[in-house]
Amino acid sequence: MVMLNKNGFKLPRVEKEKFTLLIRLGLEYNSQKMLFKIKYYNNISQLQDVLQDILKTEIAFTQTCTICGTDFGCSTCKYIKICPTKDQPFSCICNQCLRPKRVMQQQLLF
Amino acid sequence: MKNDLWVEKYRPATVKEVIGNEEAKTLFIEWLGNKRSTKKAVLLYGPPGVGKTTLVNAAANEYNFKIIEMNASDARSEKAVKRIAAPATSFTGLDKFSSEVKGNMLFLDEVDGIAGNEDRGGVNAIIKIIENTRTPVIMAANDPDLEKLRPLKKICLIIKFQQTRIPLIIMALKKICEQEHIAYEFEALEKIAINSQGDVRSAINDLQGLSEEGKTLTAQDTLALGLRNRSSNMDEALRGYFTAKNAAEAAAALSFLDVDFDDLLMAISDNMPRRYTDIEERARAYDYLSQADVFRGRIGTENWHLTKYFYNNLSQAAAVNSESYKHFEFITAPPIKVHTLFWTKAKRMVLASICAKIGNQCHVSKYEAKMIYVPYLRLLLQQKNKANTTRLIDWLKLTPEEVTTLTGLKMF
Repeated sequence: MVMLNKNGFKLPRVEKEKFTLLIRLGLEYNSQKMLFKIKYYNNISQLQDVLQDILKTEIAFTQTCTICGTDFGCSTCKYIKICPTKDQPFSCICNQCLRPKRVMQQQLLF
Repeated sequence: MKNDLWVEKYRPATVKEVIGNEEAKTLFIEWLGNKRSTKKAVLLYGPPGVGKTTLVNAAANEYNFKIIEMNASDARSEKAVKRIAAPATSFTGLDKFSSEVKGNMLFLDEVDGIAGNEDRGGVNAIIKIIENTRTPVIMAANDPDLEKLRPLKKICLIIKFQQTRIPLIIMALKKICEQEHIAYEFEALEKIAINSQGDVRSAINDLQGLSEEGKTLTAQDTLALGLRNRSSNMDEALRGYFTAKNAAEAAAALSFLDVDFDDLLMAISDNMPRRYTDIEERARAYDYLSQADVFRGRIGTENWHLTKYFYNNLSQAAAVNSESYKHFEFITAPPIKVHTLFWTKAKRMVLASICAKIGNQCHVSKYEAKMIYVPYLRLLLQQKNKANTTRLIDWLKLTPEEVTTLTGLKMF
């Protein structure tokens, strides 16, 4: 499995049709940095299928912890089996931030 | 402590405080801020309790918009929409010139609930308003795939909301516990969050219902949550139904079921001979089922007040003799009736063709041909007098396949 950073990831060179499809499905391409970035999140599952087809392997996007801001994968989460929204959206809370006792001291972002 | 609803007390005042769906939030705020020229309206959709309405209220509060809201409790016919929503979106209120208010924001909650005679023309009126609006028009729906919302979807920016994740709900519950000075076990909050199935509102309500001042909220306390929010599948419901010790238990097993009435009736009917081996008990059970079927017919699409009688009869069928229950394997979907219809489709089509031919020659309806003529015709064709049968076949223009089917028919 390949973990992709939603804020910027590289892809091998793709055909024109595939590139158009990726853009239609919500990706944005930065030609200077040569990085793809997710712009719209409504077609994520279709996007995942296309990316898996391009990379010929399973992919997952990294999650960003809303408390500490670190990126982590869903595979580390203990609720993965019962999570109603696997892999998407891309913000959650990492294991380290979930357990501490005094929540208020962490100055929650929400 | 329990005088105020915590859902209201801790309702987010700013967009940042709304938990989960960060991407949807960003998209919505971008649209509200500077992208309204591309799409004049936005449709937020997702399951209940994930923060659609909360986000709109928080955004209005933060960016100083005055919300004009129409929700499911208001009639949303063409007339009503024009009367309330049209002025709100076309005229600039005097308060816009004050530094505090940016203007109006029309919020149509639960647009997927626009239906029936009361809301006639509502969708078309909304479309017209969106085309001419000067202010943001926001709609929220649970199910955007409805046929009636298709024209709306074409002219809206669509933003999908996902169920809120368990860790995010746990953190929200923790925050409330801290502010309410409630001691808690992490496992208790975990159980509430899992039980809520991504619905923050129900999780907060559960927390308020379970917590007591000065008492630690333990995992044991959350056992009372039991089957809340649970919609069982057919297998589970049938198991609960057939093992019920009385009618009330059977009714409880069915109450969590979220399937079509007809499917339920057929599934129970298929399994009834396995449940009751005694002929008399089986007959009584089927009697209750037939009464339930009568009420199913009367319910139709509008007499929902008769649903209780439908369920009552179904429950009675399960409780004919609770002591005779022996474990049996359930027949699962598709029901026997559907199976039978599938396997006999070719035969039924041949029979329909025969009836059409009889009807054509004898000037009777297909139904009459089937009920009155076909049994006699079958007997005539089974006779050994070939001359008569050949004349009959020629007169009716029956094909060899039709003759074979007709002579092979066993029952009507």
